[in-house]
Amino acid sequence: MMQPPPQAIVVRSPSIAAEQPIPRDYTADGRNISPPITWTNVPSGTKQLALVIEDPDAGNPPPFVHWVLYNLPPTATGVPEAISIDPQAPMPREIAGAIQGVSGFRRPIYRGPAPPPGKPHHYHFVVYALDADFGLKPGLTRADLLAAIRGHIIGQGELVATYERKAP
Amino acid sequence: MTFISRRDLLKRAAAVGAAPLATRDVSVGPSSQSGHDVRRDDPGVHLHGVEGLAAREPLETLTAAEADLLDAVVARLIPTDANGPGAAEARAVHYIDRALGGPLAASRGAYTSGLAALDRYARSSRGQPFAELAPLDQDSVLIDVETGAATGFTGSSAAFFALVLNHTHQGTFGDPYYGGNANFVGWDLIGYPGVRTMVTAADQQRLEKGELKTNHKSAYDYDAFTKAGRNGH
Repeated sequence: MMQPPPQAIVVRSPSIAAEQPIPRDYTADGRNISPPITWTNVPSGTKQLALVIEDPDAGNPPPFVHWVLYNLPPTATGVPEAISIDPQAPMPREIAGAIQGVSGFRRPIYRGPAPPPGKPHHYHFVVYALDADFGLKPGLTRADLLAAIRGHIIGQGELVATYERKAP
Repeated sequence: MTFISRRDLLKRAAAVGAAPLATRDVSVGPSSQSGHDVRRDDPGVHLHGVEGLAAREPLETLTAAEADLLDAVVARLIPTDANGPGAAEARAVHYIDRALGGPLAASRGAYTSGLAALDRYARSSRGQPFAELAPLDQDSVLIDVETGAATGFTGSSAAFFALVLNHTHQGTFGDPYYGGNANFVGWDLIGYPGVRTMVTAADQQRLEKGELKTNHKSAYDYDAFTKAGRNGH
């Protein structure tokens, strides 16, 4: 049976404007901390949420993945700024239980834009609402996550922003 | 956060091994200038406890500023934590400093440019010199260097990171004769029981049970190794 199209989730950031350059603090040219993300219009029946930040202008094959976060509680309305890079540090209370997957940097933490100079890259902050609790294990890549949640995405939305490094 | 988990560390250390370096150069042997003799039958060496860092040995290759920065880097690569002392206590920088004047001389230029680039990157991205950053911010900088995300390096920052990490492993887990692994802290960390010229059946059984006590001996505490080295072989 065909699954109905996912409901549109509205994804925003108090620090990042759509289609505008990402502030330096969220990139490798700055403090490289994770940005705050918020979302609304999550479908009823959502059992958990996931967030992936990806750059379709890079990667072999694209996209290059900057962050994978899953097992977010369905009550979460966003992710606060600066999730610790310390794997022993607990997640903030509002996203308790969330798990960081493995990014293109091969680490289970956020790593911001660091594109080669030459052109602006586009960064997609994609939020998924899922209709099941999968008991997902730590260490998933974006591909692992998408394979695990296939057929269970009942809501989806994204924020797109850019970043460009100038040649030295 | 420890920059490298202890589990990773032990896996990587196994690849480095505890054997002395194949290439021996008198310039990295015990130095009268440094006064750091690795013979453990000298009771004086035990004064350098692992509770705190001993005073730095006189530098042979690095500048004081480079050594300070490198000390801060290695302290995050193999950090001191609840499992015991790390690369700083092992005096990995002492090993690197001496080796850059000998077998690792080809890497001297990479250290000059790489350390300068690392500190510039820390200042431009985090607003402070690397050594003054909080440990987690130092880790964040090093992750950027490791992943090639850092800017200002000659070539990829990842190559410089790999070079320093490799030498930090050598300086922490190599034979103390070469200036690192001070007080055998590296070997104690991985449970290496020390160089032995003979292992009895009883020793082997104790080793397999994890009960073999370390002898804290360098290869060069044995005449066979020392004589070969002194003859330049």
